[in-house]
Amino acid sequence: MSEFGSTLPVSGVKSHVLEACRHVVNALRASDNNLDANLTKLLSDLDTHLSTLGNVDTKLVKDTGFSEIKERFKEAKKIILAWEQNQSLILDAGLCEADLFFKSLHDVQTVLTSFKALPSKSSKKEKDVYNQASVVLDIGMLRLEKELSDVLNQYKHHVQPRYLAVSSRGKDIVYDESFVSLDDEVVVEATSQEDDQQILGSNNGELVDLLVVPHIKAIAKAMLACGYDQPFREAFISVRRDALNEYMATLEVERFSCGDVLGMQWEDLNGEMRKWSKVLKIVTQVYLVREKHLCDKILGEFEPSFTVCFVEISKDTILSLLSFGEAVALRSCQPEMLERFLSMYEVSAEILLEVDNLFPHESGVAFHELSKKLADCTITTFLKFKNAIASDESIRAFPGGSIHHLTRYVMNYLKLLPEYKDALNTLLENLQVDDTIPEKTGQDILPSTFSPMARHLRSIVTTLESTLERKAQLYADESLKYIFLMNNYHYMVQKVKTSELKHFFGDEWIRKHIASYQHNVTDYERTTWSSVLSLLKDNNKDSVATVRERCRLFCLAFDDVYKNQTRWSVPDPELRDDLHISTSVKVVQSYRGFLGRHATRIGEKYIRYSCEDIESLLLDLFECLPSPRSLRSSRSKR
Amino acid sequence: MRPAQDNQGSFLGRISIRRNQFTDVNTEQEQEDLELFQKHIADRFTELLSPPPQPPSDETDSVASVAATEQIMSVTWLRKLMDVFLCCEAEFKAILLMGRDPTQISKPPFDRLVPEMLDRSIKALDICTAVVNGIDSVRHYQRLAEIAVAALEQRPLGDGNVRRAKRALANLLIALSLEDKENVTGGNKAIERSWSFGRRGGGSSAASKGGATIGQLKSSSWAVGRNWSAAKQIHAMTTNLTPPRGNEAAGLPLPMFIMSTVTVFVMWVLTAAVPCQERAGLANHLPVPKHLNWAQSLVGIHEKIGDEWKKKEKKGSAGLMEEMTRMEKLGHSLIEFADGFHYPAEKEAAESAAAQVAEMAEICRRMEEELVPLQQQIREVFHRIVRSRAEILEVLEQAGKLSAPVV
Repeated sequence: MSEFGSTLPVSGVKSHVLEACRHVVNALRASDNNLDANLTKLLSDLDTHLSTLGNVDTKLVKDTGFSEIKERFKEAKKIILAWEQNQSLILDAGLCEADLFFKSLHDVQTVLTSFKALPSKSSKKEKDVYNQASVVLDIGMLRLEKELSDVLNQYKHHVQPRYLAVSSRGKDIVYDESFVSLDDEVVVEATSQEDDQQILGSNNGELVDLLVVPHIKAIAKAMLACGYDQPFREAFISVRRDALNEYMATLEVERFSCGDVLGMQWEDLNGEMRKWSKVLKIVTQVYLVREKHLCDKILGEFEPSFTVCFVEISKDTILSLLSFGEAVALRSCQPEMLERFLSMYEVSAEILLEVDNLFPHESGVAFHELSKKLADCTITTFLKFKNAIASDESIRAFPGGSIHHLTRYVMNYLKLLPEYKDALNTLLENLQVDDTIPEKTGQDILPSTFSPMARHLRSIVTTLESTLERKAQLYADESLKYIFLMNNYHYMVQKVKTSELKHFFGDEWIRKHIASYQHNVTDYERTTWSSVLSLLKDNNKDSVATVRERCRLFCLAFDDVYKNQTRWSVPDPELRDDLHISTSVKVVQSYRGFLGRHATRIGEKYIRYSCEDIESLLLDLFECLPSPRSLRSSRSKR
Repeated sequence: MRPAQDNQGSFLGRISIRRNQFTDVNTEQEQEDLELFQKHIADRFTELLSPPPQPPSDETDSVASVAATEQIMSVTWLRKLMDVFLCCEAEFKAILLMGRDPTQISKPPFDRLVPEMLDRSIKALDICTAVVNGIDSVRHYQRLAEIAVAALEQRPLGDGNVRRAKRALANLLIALSLEDKENVTGGNKAIERSWSFGRRGGGSSAASKGGATIGQLKSSSWAVGRNWSAAKQIHAMTTNLTPPRGNEAAGLPLPMFIMSTVTVFVMWVLTAAVPCQERAGLANHLPVPKHLNWAQSLVGIHEKIGDEWKKKEKKGSAGLMEEMTRMEKLGHSLIEFADGFHYPAEKEAAESAAAQVAEMAEICRRMEEELVPLQQQIREVFHRIVRSRAEILEVLEQAGKLSAPVV
């Protein structure tokens, strides 16, 4: 380039420039006596050179300059046209060849610029060279456009997100509106931390092989220098955007219209919402960060191309993610959507900073607005969830006094929430709530126990309790009512104690609720057994007939209890054992005492059950037996 | 003297009189509002149909360009249309919701009319999204035109510059005449293949150099979702759109009908203006009541655009936006110029080409200035519709009559 400068054709205007150069050179020579020998010589040569240039007849210089240009152009043209025919990568031909190509382009461009600097009256020959040069430059630029696409495509790293194997397909738990029973085992989910690691752990590599970056950068430099910014951008954007679309396709992201989203079945929407949360996160926190890094490496010094390219590559995808979020926010919030909304809100809030960093010139306002909308949806859904629990009514008593599916639903749902504790605490901060534990009391010292989320969780369970109390009133049998309450409270306590929820509900709450179901046990024993056992109470004056009658009545009453309560259900085995033991202790002891005192007087043939019989029969209670078992037949079989 | 005195004996009576007065005033006020609403609609669309004369200007040139700016379907006009929509919408919402007893709009016939209207608004949302995306395609045309302009502005103009311009123009013209399917769905894969660099060897055919171009178009594929069709949406918006009859014609159903008609019309115009997913049969889908006062100008505009659309639909067109139409015309004549170009340029041909290049440059400049704001306005329309829908749903929920969620 520098040698080309000295042969620049001189025009009238140019002589002023030459004069100025000489001035600068002389000033430089005079300014410093300590210049090193080489530099002094160089400056002196330059001065001589400049002075001859200036003095020589302008026409002559132009001629010699031009013939040299023409020679160079011939060479350059040969190289460029050869590459026009050659479809293989210039990159593969080696660094030397590539440099030669770029240098040829530069030479051609020099022809063009130097011609433009000429006075308009130039020769036919010169004009012809100029015209040829304009064509050769265009051919070269087109060749570079192809080279760019080919290199970007060939050296693209295919990113295979691994997380797809784990989730987003198949095993979604679907909560529906009807509070249908959930099996406890189903509610086992990969925690989000694991997922995150999988998301972030995948595609460690760059999006494009780093080795080719200098080559692409050289292409950018050449094309931009020749005014071919647009074609460079278009080609670059096109390939990179296709790569992003391909990536979105591997994530199985589909686009949906608002109409689609509003008409979608909840199961499908649930899956799509789950996917969205993950995809938004991985796209903004991983993929686009790398994309921007790539753009920066190649185009960092060429603003505004850098910004334009990155924005154009990502815009479409970003907008489609945004519009799914907007479409979801259009749906009327149903209680079962709470967890999905929470996760969408959480991600949308989490990525705000990234989005602002990725697009500092665009206003990330749209995402901020979306996040706000999702926050509103989440709060609305949260309140609706609570209302739905409060207004869940039954007509008939729940069979067997077992754990109501509402209890299962609510408790299992609550277990999912600690994962979103930060989001929930933010959202619920200013939402009024009645809490059962308003002040720090007892042994609870964890701050989480008094967080907004904890207060709301307890409040939700309080709502659940009132609903259960209402359902309990539907039992005709007082004892069964206590069994029902015991079962449900015990279930709540178990769910809280064995999960993250314990840090939110706190020891105080757990203690109170254990006491509560224990109280139910006592109440049950009192209502069922006190009248039965009163038959065994001692009265020394009793005649043989009375004692026999009391024994008979006891057996009848026992039969009655047995017939009823074997159909009742206490699903938790430990709770059932406890209940068996404590009942057994009371009943068998009383019976044994009774028999011990009166057996001989009653006579063996009047005693239907031995103590062992009673003891083993009691074990059948709460086993949820399908039909009342006939005691007589069961006894006669022994 | 004081009206209250007549009822002094009865506190309740006073209340009930007041309430009656209030209702009377209310219905009277409502009638007035309704008439005003119709008048505003008529005025706004009349202005759109025939823009007011521009203040005189010294330069005849600039007058011409101002006139072109205001022309129906120009980007400036479309932006005005968006403003008109927003005004109508705000006024309508005030009539529908302000000071109204929530239970009123949940009773028949509103229990049918309101959900239908909300359903239309959802379809309008999707059209907004599709159109914003379509405008991105227009911005791509703009970039192609800019390449051509930049190349043809080179002096001296060499064969290389013309070659470059021709390539850009050819891509521009193909993009402008692509059918919706090719334009917006993935259907142009095949074209892309045959266009790609494999055929570079020939070198002279400008159309064979469009790899990046088509890639660009493809990116706008399925912006709104698979199988989504703008024409079908418009059609669905109009299926249950009938003018209120009898008693209903005097009350609230009328502005609801008017607003729905305006919404459908505006969406229809946008869809016709820029590339949009699936528009076959678009022209057939807009029944507008011709005899109504408020609708006359709207019908006028509708007819004008409808005729254009039918013409364009036959030969395939990306959209009726006035700038695009002119771009296409200029593109054709500039390609003609390029085909006949020999270096050095003949003075006469070069001068006429230069004028066309300047016009193309002017179109690009206007697009540069107005397309993004137009997109923003459409986004605003989107958000406005979302907000209004939410407000109406809220009122319905208040009324407690909404047993099933309106989807």
